[in-house]
This record gives sequence, structure tokens and C-alpha cells, in this order.
Amino acid sequence: MNDLIRNAETINKLLSRYGVKFGIYKNGEFREQLFPFDPIPRIIGNDEFSYLEKGLRQRVDALNCFLSDIYGKKQIVKDRVIPEEFIFSAKGFLVPCDGVTPPKGIYSHISGIDLVQSKDNNWYVLEDNLRVPSGASYPMIARELQRRSAPDAFTKNDVIDNRNYADLLKEVMDHVNTGGINVILSPGRYNAAFFEHSYLAEKTGAVLTTGKDIVCENDNLYYIDYNGKKQRVGAVYRRISDEYLDPMTFYEESVIGIPHIFEAYRKGNAALLNAPGNGVADDKGIYYFVPKMIKYYLGEEAILMNAPTYLPYYEKDMQYVLDNFDKLVIKDVAEAGGYGVVFGSSLTAEKKSEFIALLKAEPRRFIAQEVIDFYDLDILDENGTKVPRKADLRAFVLTGRTTKVWASGLTRFSRNPDSFIVNSSQGGGFKDTWVLSR
Amino acid sequence: MFIPQDNERQKITELKISSGYDTCFSITDDVFHNKKLYGRIEKPHDKFEISISGCADTGLNVFEEFISSESYPYCPFSTTVFGVQTRLTMPGINIWKLHKSLCLNEITEPYDKTMKIMKTVAEVLKYDAGATGVHEAAENALSLKSGVCQDFAHIMISLLRMANIPARYVVGMMLGEGASHAWVEAFCRGYWYGFDPTNNKLVNDEYIKVSYGRDSSDCPVIKGNFYGNGMQTQKEEVNVEEIHAKE
Repeated sequence: MNDLIRNAETINKLLSRYGVKFGIYKNGEFREQLFPFDPIPRIIGNDEFSYLEKGLRQRVDALNCFLSDIYGKKQIVKDRVIPEEFIFSAKGFLVPCDGVTPPKGIYSHISGIDLVQSKDNNWYVLEDNLRVPSGASYPMIARELQRRSAPDAFTKNDVIDNRNYADLLKEVMDHVNTGGINVILSPGRYNAAFFEHSYLAEKTGAVLTTGKDIVCENDNLYYIDYNGKKQRVGAVYRRISDEYLDPMTFYEESVIGIPHIFEAYRKGNAALLNAPGNGVADDKGIYYFVPKMIKYYLGEEAILMNAPTYLPYYEKDMQYVLDNFDKLVIKDVAEAGGYGVVFGSSLTAEKKSEFIALLKAEPRRFIAQEVIDFYDLDILDENGTKVPRKADLRAFVLTGRTTKVWASGLTRFSRNPDSFIVNSSQGGGFKDTWVLSR
Repeated sequence: MFIPQDNERQKITELKISSGYDTCFSITDDVFHNKKLYGRIEKPHDKFEISISGCADTGLNVFEEFISSESYPYCPFSTTVFGVQTRLTMPGINIWKLHKSLCLNEITEPYDKTMKIMKTVAEVLKYDAGATGVHEAAENALSLKSGVCQDFAHIMISLLRMANIPARYVVGMMLGEGASHAWVEAFCRGYWYGFDPTNNKLVNDEYIKVSYGRDSSDCPVIKGNFYGNGMQTQKEEVNVEEIHAKE
């Protein structure tokens, strides 16, 4: 462990050299910043990981059932488990996806589930990310570099090797591939996660490409290589959001997508990872219903808990939210990346009444949650002193032939001692996540 | 682009598509089962033309697609999705005011409510080809009190949805018009009926339906993009002639 701490600075330098950066658009300007790495790993014991693994697989399996139901028979709505309003008016419900079954029936291939641990050692799921969850490459490369600087640290401590992520990902791509090559579709060099796109392409052997190199002809997708030769594409791990994926089906002004890619997908001639339309399941409003989904589709009780959540849409919950406003955190369901999060206690009286008026006018737009007393993790500050900070864990769950949980994950922490918001787009840092084999 | 197809109101025959380019086109269905023609041209070109001709036997029925909630596979989808406001039909202060002034709760039948809404939209809005943009929101058009058939339809759809009547946007052609036309279908008494708020008229055998959707962005007459930095303009000609009168 001491070797790791001693080499922290070198590793950060190497990460910067390898381009492990995070791009941020602020006020219309593109800036790249380093994603600061902290050498003290988060350590998850084997029993604890088995518990998380079981819970995560159950949750992702239920979410996949939900997506297949919503874009199919909609039984869960007919049975009134989830109100219609939460589906058909959700921004993430994409009408063109209705009735489309993706190859092998899988909607969420790569799921990023965000968890936090409370002071009393319980794990809570804070958010499901089923669209384009990013971040797996950071612990991958950090581990790779650390192995060089302190090879013994990992065997001595019985840490499960996490370098198999690329194999897991490749296995999923191959499983859903409809015949042809695997590609990773990136918006390009100026995307926040471009490092990750190129790294995963390298590690999985998929072709890294942008929209301009792929065409759709006769409902099939082709990659045009440097010789001008066309190669059939069977699976697209796309790192472009739904809206921009196909200008002919979604956002017309998109210049990073592939015209008519949706036709190839609809006809079952190419797999898209993840399937378009998944946003209806990771909507913060739908989050409330995930434990109910698990019960409904799998007939099981949820293993992992949600943070206690209230839906102002229900009158009873609205009353609770108004009565306990100061101790709750309110989230705008349409926002992501730590934006649109309001802590009731942090508002001035004036702002508070403004916010409550908005909440009453658009109850569907918000959820309220109890503030979880996070279990803090130690990080090293600038002077090399250990200080406690809030941290979360993004677990990566991959669904192919079966659903598997990667024995690692992205631990993000807030560098600001008073902040709960750990998102990398808001300046947080990351740690390696160790899962022990004993 | 969308191609007219058979439904309970119309039968299409002698359909001919010609583009004059050596290129492949595919025909596909969109999510609403509209027929869509798509393709791409790889060679550099400075214009793109396509023409479609055919015969339509119209006025076969006054409504279409009876959908019993049991038989249709995606039951809530068939109507629910048309009951939800979209970005273009989202009511603002002007539409809210108009909605209030209609006092629709005094009327019981959805069909009668729809008639009143159509009549009101036709009165409030003035036809003005230059007033609004390609995908103008209903609220903006109403604040200008003028617009084209698309704006008439969007405002009517917005009001229908506020009255809990599912409504869809229809693109098609009308006898005697030189351009494509847009109107509204409202779900009343279990059937989709056509209403033309621009002409304050029930849709009859003078209308040929091409496509429908939640609003105009679901069914543009034609759309596409190109790589290159040229400027572009689009010209559209529609010619509908009566071949023989009804017996």
C-alpha cells in the first residue's frame, strides 16, 4: 500500500501523458481537465461483493424486463404498477422504438449503477445509468499503471484482477452481433470521454469510428475502411446519445450520427449497445419504481435498497416533502451529471418559496430523497495528509448471455469537503476499486 | 419521404416513383406504419429531385381504424401517445386562455367538442404563408394569430389534447392545392375522424392522406442532409386532379 501512495504523483503524471482526461464544456468553451487519481483504493471484501453482485444482477435483469415490456406489451402499465404518465410523457420514452425488439432481446448491455455506502454500512442505489454510462476505462488504466509501480501490492492483498473488463465487453458485443465487425462509435476527439472510447476500442479489438465512416444501405450497416472497402457491421457500441444517433429518426440537426442507422437496427440487421430508448428506465422518476419492478417481473424482493425516495406526484408524498423540505434533497428528473440537485437546507427563504411554487406546479418533474449519511473514504490532500471525503461507486454490469458484474468499478469522490456531488463533470476525482478474493 | 398508402378511407393504385439517379432506395415502415422511402447518393451532386405519381380512390369511409383496446398489440400506445403534448403542441399562456374560453365541459360528446375546437381555431387564426417557421410551436403561432395549415393543425391538436381527446397530425394532399396540406385526426367514439381546421371542414373525398404522427416533426414531407458546405433550397410541387366523379 505504501508503494502505491509513494507513486501517486508519478501515476497522475502518466495518466496525464496517456491522455486520461475529462473534457468539459463550460460557457460554450471546451476545456480538458485531468481526472485526479487518488492512490488509496476503495476495498470491498469478498462477501460484501457477492451481496452487491447478486443485488446488481437482479436489478439489471428487472430493468431489462421493464424495457422489453414498455416497448412491447406494456403489461406493467396495464396492471397499474406504474402510472401511464411516468412512461409516455417521459423524455426518455422514444416513440420510434415502440415494437422494436433488439438482437437477442437485450436492451441494457452495459449498465452503470451508482451506489453509496452509508455510515451504518448499508449500500443504497442512487441512480441507474442505462444509456451511455462511462468510466470503466479509468480504473482499468489506473490499475495497469499501478501494477507497474507496485506489482506485489495486488497479489499480496488478494485483489481480483480487473483487467477482464474488455473481455466481458467483447463477449457481450459478440453475443449480440448480427454478422460483421464490432465498432465503437464515438462523437470524436472533442467528446468528454474520448479517451475511454479509444482505450476500449484498443482493448476489445473493435474498430474505433465516427459517424462519417459508416453508411446504411438496404437496411444494412457498412464500415468504410481506409481503402474505401465496405465491411458489414454487426454490433455498434455507440457512445453517442439517442438524440444524436440518427438525424433521420431523432434530432435532425445532428452531424455526429449515422443517417438511417435506426432502420438497420429496427430490421434486426445490427445491434446497438445500448439500445435506443433506454432513457425511459433510468429516469429519476422511474427509479422510484425499480423495487416494484423487481417484484413484478422476477417475483423477488429487491436485494439492494433505493435511497428513501418520495414522488411529489403522489399527494401523500408531496405533503411529506413540504413538511420535511429542509432535510431532503430534491432532484430534477430531467437533469444529469449532478446538475439540478437541490438540498432543501441550502436554500434561502426566498429561493425556497420560489422552489416550492415550482414543485407544486410541476410535481412530475421532481423526486425528493432523504439525505444519506455517507460513509466517507480517506483521500490524500495536497500535503499528503489523509482526509475523509464523500464518495460513491459506479458498478458496471454487463448483460450478454448472462448478466455479470465487473469485479471492480469506478469510485468517485468529491474533492470539496462540504460537497456531496462526486460527478467528474463537477471536478471530482477517482480511486481504484479493489474486490478481494477472500 | 412518405408515400401514400391504402387505408379505410382511400385506395392507392398505379404508384410510380422516379428519381433519375442511379441509386438504391429502400421502403420501410415507421413506428406508426407510415410507408417511408429512403436512400442515399454517394456521388457529388448539386440537386436532388424525386417525383411520385399515382391514383387515389378516396372517400371510401369517413373514419378509420377502429381499434379495440383488446385486439391491438400495443393498446395504450394506439391512443395514449397521441394524448400527450409534444414540444410543438405544448400549451403556453395563449393556448390556455383559448382553452378556457371554449368552456368545453358544457359539451359532453368528444366529437362535438372537436367540432367546436375546429371552428374556433379557424376563426382565431388568419392564414398567412410568411408568418411562421418550418417547425413553429403552436403557442408561438397563436400569439401571432396567423400561420399556415401546420399551425392551424398544431393549435387544434394542443386544444384537443387538453380536452383529453387523443389527436394526431396528418400530412396529405387536397384537391386544388399546389402544396402539401396538413390536418388533424381526433379520436372520438372509438374512431379516428379527420378535421381540417385551415378550411373549417370535415375531411372528405377531396383529401389524400400521406402520413401521420404526433406533430409535424414526425411526418415531414421530405427530409435529408448532405455532407458539404453548399447552401440549399427546397421546392415542392403538388398537383391533384379529379379523374372521374363519384357515381
